[in-house]
Amino acid sequence: MASLAVRIGPLELRNPVLSASGTFGHGLEMRAFTPPESVGGLVSKTVTVRPRPGNPAPRICETGAGFLNSIGLENKGIDHYVREVLPTMADADTVVVTNIGGESVEEFVQLAERLDGEGAVAMLEVNLSCPNVQGGKLPFATRPEMAEAVIGAVRAATSKPILAKLSPNVSDIAAMARAVEGAGADGVTAVNTLLGMAVDWRTGKPGLGTVQGGYSGPAIKPVALRCAWACARAVSIPVVGCGGIAGVDDALEYLAVGCTAVQVGTSSFSDPGLPGRIAGEMAERLDAAGVAAVTDLVGSIRDGSVRDGAGAPAAPRGGGPCASRT
Amino acid sequence: MRRPRGRPQVEPAVPFAAASFADGRARTRGILPRVPAPPPDARSALAAVVSVEPCGDDGALVRLRPPEALPPVRASRFFMLRREDGTSPLIPRPFSIYRQPDGDLEFLVKVMGRGTRALAEAPVGAPVRVIGPLGNGWPTLDGEGDPWVLLGGGIGCAPFYLAIRQALAGMDGAAPVPPEGVTYLFGAATAGLLYDLDAVRALGARVEPATDDGSAGFRGNVLQLLERLQAEGQVPRRVRLLACGPEPMLEAVRDHALDRGLDCWLSLESLMGCGVGICNGCPVPTEPEGPLGAWPNAKCCVEGPVFEARAIASCG
Ligand SMILES: Cc1cc2nc3c(=O)[nH]c(=O)nc-3n(C[C@H](O)[C@H](O)[C@H](O)COP(=O)(O)OP(=O)(O)OC[C@H]3O[C@@H](n4cnc5c(N)ncnc54)[C@H](O)[C@@H]3O)c2cc1C
Ligand SMILES: Cc1cc2nc3c(=O)[nH]c(=O)nc-3n(C[C@H](O)[C@H](O)[C@H](O)COP(=O)(O)O)c2cc1C
Ligand code: FES
Repeated sequence: MASLAVRIGPLELRNPVLSASGTFGHGLEMRAFTPPESVGGLVSKTVTVRPRPGNPAPRICETGAGFLNSIGLENKGIDHYVREVLPTMADADTVVVTNIGGESVEEFVQLAERLDGEGAVAMLEVNLSCPNVQGGKLPFATRPEMAEAVIGAVRAATSKPILAKLSPNVSDIAAMARAVEGAGADGVTAVNTLLGMAVDWRTGKPGLGTVQGGYSGPAIKPVALRCAWACARAVSIPVVGCGGIAGVDDALEYLAVGCTAVQVGTSSFSDPGLPGRIAGEMAERLDAAGVAAVTDLVGSIRDGSVRDGAGAPAAPRGGGPCASRT
Repeated sequence: MRRPRGRPQVEPAVPFAAASFADGRARTRGILPRVPAPPPDARSALAAVVSVEPCGDDGALVRLRPPEALPPVRASRFFMLRREDGTSPLIPRPFSIYRQPDGDLEFLVKVMGRGTRALAEAPVGAPVRVIGPLGNGWPTLDGEGDPWVLLGGGIGCAPFYLAIRQALAGMDGAAPVPPEGVTYLFGAATAGLLYDLDAVRALGARVEPATDDGSAGFRGNVLQLLERLQAEGQVPRRVRLLACGPEPMLEAVRDHALDRGLDCWLSLESLMGCGVGICNGCPVPTEPEGPLGAWPNAKCCVEGPVFEARAIASCG
């Protein structure tokens, strides 16, 4: 059996599959579908300092090929999270990642300090990139010096490892990845949702109450994969790939382009058992391809760059990545 | 219409006991009581299409065989369904349990768009992802208080076939409702949208159809029909109401019930992304200081889809 364990900073994950923030609740309440011990980690919905009631309905809208949302980070705030949610996570047999969101450096610091002493939290994911607040302006996700300021301040406020979650809505994501690496992040999550919208031309009604929102699902995989690849080439800390993963092969593609781990988002709505299923099928897939350890696959893409210890597996038989099913 | 704040908080006369028909709320098991969670009996399974029969002008009865038969599901609980052969959209769609013939799951599906069409056109054997049972379902329909009046509008009839059957058989150990204790007012735009009317009539309760165009039964909507039956003395003034249908109908029923101080439960049809509480896509505005607590939104999928009329500030 191929070994699946991977490392992010000081943490060992039993396998490289995590749930994505905002698409799996807190994770543990989903145990009947995906047992916590079946995945490498569970990432919480973004927690903010103050309670946020979220955006007006409609908050979700399926489009021809993907999914739009403008939830607006509905959550009951850090006090509620620490008091009511974390006690239920204490004995989770997996890596618990708390995703934090703020509108200022001070808010991020406040959240990091508050969680620093919480034993149930193994890692923080800093959401620099929610498109559904501050009018989609994404100040922390589009300006390297602002991302650096947030991550640097969070680094100083916590002893826990930090993932910095980046936005695809930038022209140079590698520069963002380098900025957060320089500021002390232990890893990069690439990516959050793409900005998008929908409209019914007959009625003039936008698909979302807030008009624009975040676009996700299988449709964004090529965009997100490129972002993850660009980050992996730019930094030496682990990259966690996220965007459009709907099956084990999607997850393995992210590893091939240089990601250490992956997160499953929107596709959990199609089947909340999916994160566990992908993790379960991974060893089988690697065994069939003759790959001994999942880490051997990391960065094995033949893109002309040279990496240490990246053993490329045999090319798949029949159909390259662009094989059409029609 | 926003209701005045601070209505007196009364416990429902009949608590939602969870005995014969699990109502799926986490507190019945005591796990994660403060984190909204999918029901403890919900599972994700791959079922196969057994049959698809046309029903009414634009509907279909879709029968699915899950890998294992489920215990009886409480009426007005629901399942998220999605064909897994590439023909359904990405996001599964919610459907009320309609019937459970011989361990299968049967759904009454009205074709609205891509998701419902994929199900209504499914060939026998097609694989369908089935997530559920989800949601709370109707309260215990007992035979000991005011009579029950069930108001169904269009495809909102789906949770009433089982409701009538379960009420007449007795739910959760409560006294069964006698046939004269339940009146079902089934409204639709036209006769062809009174889905499966003969089957629901055969259950034994009183069933009164109504159509907007007068092509079958009473001409008008179900609330007008209720008022007519009450004026004629055929239905008492004090009744307990259940309603499911389009949002404007539910708003009207809610106003009707609150104005008269009637117990009333509404089964809402919100847009849903996941059905299990993880996407936050199904907010229902809660009544401030109402029984759902201080948070401004409830999650339709895990806290509903059935809500007490006085607990919510609007139906969508
Ligand atoms: C708890 C619950 C139980 C339900 N039970 C049933 C049932 O037993 N049988 C049944 O046929 N339908 C039921 N519905 C409604 C059903 O889920 C929707 O009709 C379906 O999601 C539409 O999907 P679509 O892809 O065909 O349409 P889409 O392409 O998504 O939409 C087509 C049109 O339908 C409207 N629409 C979409 N979703 C809904 C909705 N939830 N309610 C009202 N209008 C909607 C859209 O605004 C649009 O105008 C239920 C909904 C809920 C929340
Ligand atoms: C409904 C919904 C809610 C989300 N909420 C959050 C959130 O609170 N915080 C966050 O960092 N990302 C959030 N995301 C983004 C996802 O975590 C993920 O980055 C994105 O959806 C891309 O992955 P996917 O294509 O697998 O969904 C949300 C996505 C969706 C669809
Ligand atoms: S439908 Fe996803 S939270 Fe209710």
